[in-house]
Amino acid sequence: MTSSVMTLWDNRNALRLLVRRDLAVKYQQSFLGYLWSLIEPLGVAAIYWFVFGVLYGTQSNRHLGSADNSYPLYLITGIFAWSWANAAMGEATSALTGQARLITTMKVAREVFPIGRVVGRFAEFLAGLPILIVLAVVFGELHFDWQLLALPLAVLLQTVFLTGLALLLSSLNVLLRDVEKLMRLGLRVLFYATPIIYPLTLVRTSDMPGWVKTTYELNPLVGIMELYHSVWYPDMFPGAQLLGITAGASIVLLIGGWWVFRRLEPAVLKEL
Amino acid sequence: MATPLITADGLGVKFVRNRRRQLRIREMFIHRGGRQPNPGEFWPLRDVNFAINPGDAVGVIGKNGTGKSTLLRLIAGVLIPDEGKINVNGKVAPLLELSAGFSNDLTGRENVHLVGSLHGLSNTFLKQNFDEIVDFAGEQVAKAIDTPVRHYSSGMKVRLGFSVIARLSHPILLVDEVMAVGDAEFRKKCYATIEKLLAEGRTLVLVSHNENDLTRFCNRGLYFDEGKLITDGTVREALDAYNAVVPT
Repeated sequence: MTSSVMTLWDNRNALRLLVRRDLAVKYQQSFLGYLWSLIEPLGVAAIYWFVFGVLYGTQSNRHLGSADNSYPLYLITGIFAWSWANAAMGEATSALTGQARLITTMKVAREVFPIGRVVGRFAEFLAGLPILIVLAVVFGELHFDWQLLALPLAVLLQTVFLTGLALLLSSLNVLLRDVEKLMRLGLRVLFYATPIIYPLTLVRTSDMPGWVKTTYELNPLVGIMELYHSVWYPDMFPGAQLLGITAGASIVLLIGGWWVFRRLEPAVLKEL
Repeated sequence: MATPLITADGLGVKFVRNRRRQLRIREMFIHRGGRQPNPGEFWPLRDVNFAINPGDAVGVIGKNGTGKSTLLRLIAGVLIPDEGKINVNGKVAPLLELSAGFSNDLTGRENVHLVGSLHGLSNTFLKQNFDEIVDFAGEQVAKAIDTPVRHYSSGMKVRLGFSVIARLSHPILLVDEVMAVGDAEFRKKCYATIEKLLAEGRTLVLVSHNENDLTRFCNRGLYFDEGKLITDGTVREALDAYNAVVPT
């Protein structure tokens, strides 16, 4: 494990180059360039706002709590964080298969390819932060307080979670190409299994059996999403138990993902 | 005697011919001792031992599918052996698939910087030597240096790739039939470059079927047959062993 971290550090230059290349390739050809990384999540958010904010919006038991008057802010915060996760997981799955020729001729630590996807999408997430801040100001939810610290914590946990998953998915996908197909469904399930368009309290107060609720909170994205929300709404800050589960599951996933990646590496290189 | 630059010790790689076997993840995680031999698996290289000293120019000879390219990939570090060890004491400049690192959507200029940096060339070095690199690749490439590589012909890509990698100061050169591509004029340039690099004391590992190339550059030959190293001697000896099996 430590040696892997060292090789990754030695290859940080390659990581930087590949991320820059991916961003350059992605935005060079489109007219609106970088703005696309904002337009898409904003468009998606607008759809959900129309359905759940406008059409279903009159219901009194939405359980949005302190976000009741600023549902668009709640929604966009979640969607921005989700787009990072979604794009990183989707692209990491094909990170090794898509660059087989580069990997089979150049000696670069193979971890760089999936991790590069996570980092690259993080850059897009950063580009969306100003919009979130503007919205928070508009809705009067920006408080210069300790609660802003939830943001770096959320980013850290999400990076850990995504890196583990990226390593796992990218190496598995070389040997079982079905993973790529499965991910399309998996990502959709994960989106609805995370409090993005609805609040967590709605799940907790629902009359689902207890074990369903417990399983639901095992998804690290639940805790991570609540951390993002708590940047604007402090009462959504996850409790010690949820925070512990989120951090624990993310770290387990990182170590497990790295272990699987190392273990599969010889087979992966042959297969590419 | 100098310490060898590349040593192979009982080197072996196993491939699984039948892809279905590969799909059984369970097997990859659980190592059972004394597993019965799998009919689908074969060894492109096995029990290979050799040592290459600094300054050697080694020609790797053998029929198609006898593990020559596999050997180069092992030396380049882009394949991990299943058996034995390979030790490489130095950086490797792989002239294997020359256009491999190129992104089709980036221009030639951007690609030179990308591939050069990925191989460890510094930014200042690339800036200083940029014109030389492009000139070497030929007039056609120089004209198109600011258009995306996707519009290049395959020959142009190979030439540009060669000019970048030929700039590397790495002590080990791996060459896999690159001389087969490109026109006569470019081939001449390649030959001159390789000779110049050899004169600087670099170590060369060359895979080729071309007898002239082999005798021209190499002072040593390794002849492989069915994944085994049969002859390790001068180029002449290795070629004779090869020709004895394949009547010309």
